[in-house]
Amino acid sequence: MALDVASRARFNLEKAAVLLLDDTPLGMSILVQIVTGLGAKQLYRCTSVEMAKEIATHQEIDLAIVDAMAPEGKGYDFVEWLRRETQEPNCYCPTLITTGHTPTSDIVRARDCGGHFIIKKPIAPIVMLERIIWVAKSGRPFLFTGSYVGPDRRFRDDGPPDGAGRRREDLARAAAEAAAQAPPDQQESPEPHAAS
Amino acid sequence: MTSVRFVFPKPRLNELLRSPGGLPVAEALEQAHANLEAIRPTCTAELLALLELCEASYWNLKDAYDEPAVTELYSLAVKGIGAGEICGRPAIDAALTSFCDLLDHLRTLKRYDHEAVGVHVRAWKLLMMADLPQAGAEQILDGLLKVSRRYAAEARAASVA
Repeated sequence: MALDVASRARFNLEKAAVLLLDDTPLGMSILVQIVTGLGAKQLYRCTSVEMAKEIATHQEIDLAIVDAMAPEGKGYDFVEWLRRETQEPNCYCPTLITTGHTPTSDIVRARDCGGHFIIKKPIAPIVMLERIIWVAKSGRPFLFTGSYVGPDRRFRDDGPPDGAGRRREDLARAAAEAAAQAPPDQQESPEPHAAS
Repeated sequence: MTSVRFVFPKPRLNELLRSPGGLPVAEALEQAHANLEAIRPTCTAELLALLELCEASYWNLKDAYDEPAVTELYSLAVKGIGAGEICGRPAIDAALTSFCDLLDHLRTLKRYDHEAVGVHVRAWKLLMMADLPQAGAEQILDGLLKVSRRYAAEARAASVA
């Protein structure tokens, strides 16, 4: 995942609608300088959860960068709301959570709110860019359960415990791995995942 | 029985990132660093303002545990994390993280340690000095970590119980 700082590879954030949520002028200023430096032009700068909800309800967003807003952790509430209450495609929006410090009492909340990644401050521009590229590319499925809505948190692909999968995706992955290990003349084209 | 539904969304962001135009990685990072450099004076001023507020809150505190006051100190310290790096004083971010750890432990234990809080506030002020040598900053950070870690195990045990 590490990017080479001297890379000439191009990426384009110009047309991406980016929602920024931070209730402090200092935090917002740092975020804005980083994402505009990376080429983003369409920014929604939200200084409160209410503003961010308004934007997420009425505008299509491609990326959300949300500060956790400790100690209350209102940023986590916003991400949870985004996942549960907004229409497609915003409910699947790639979401990065930034935080200076996570109180012990908020660790479970941070894990379960539905963000793609948590970035610890201070934020280096290269880290932000790596995470943006990663969340855009990643094929992490979204889960809808009673208690959790968000990207699958099992993204370390260690395989199922004891080699026995319980879910449909585990079987599909095992089949794909088996096909990849088979001699070329026995390989079948993988079944594409349906997007919804 | 709990039902689980899987969806495989295709974020538009992936297509946008690959669309023609845009910037090379090296140029974008250079621009982002230049932008951050431009806000260095504002960041320094904001950090100083937060420090002043923190000092005022600290002097108003008494020896007994006061949840809203400790939470206020935490709010001030956490707002500063990230600005130290921009100001060219990364040790401040580490010091404020140690401060937030300490305040979080104290909140968990519902206890107050005026001296431990005071040492963090004074360290913040010292680390704001432009001419502080690197070795001095490291010594300060070592001391702060020892102070905040003193409560870590106890707070962990309390939060598990």
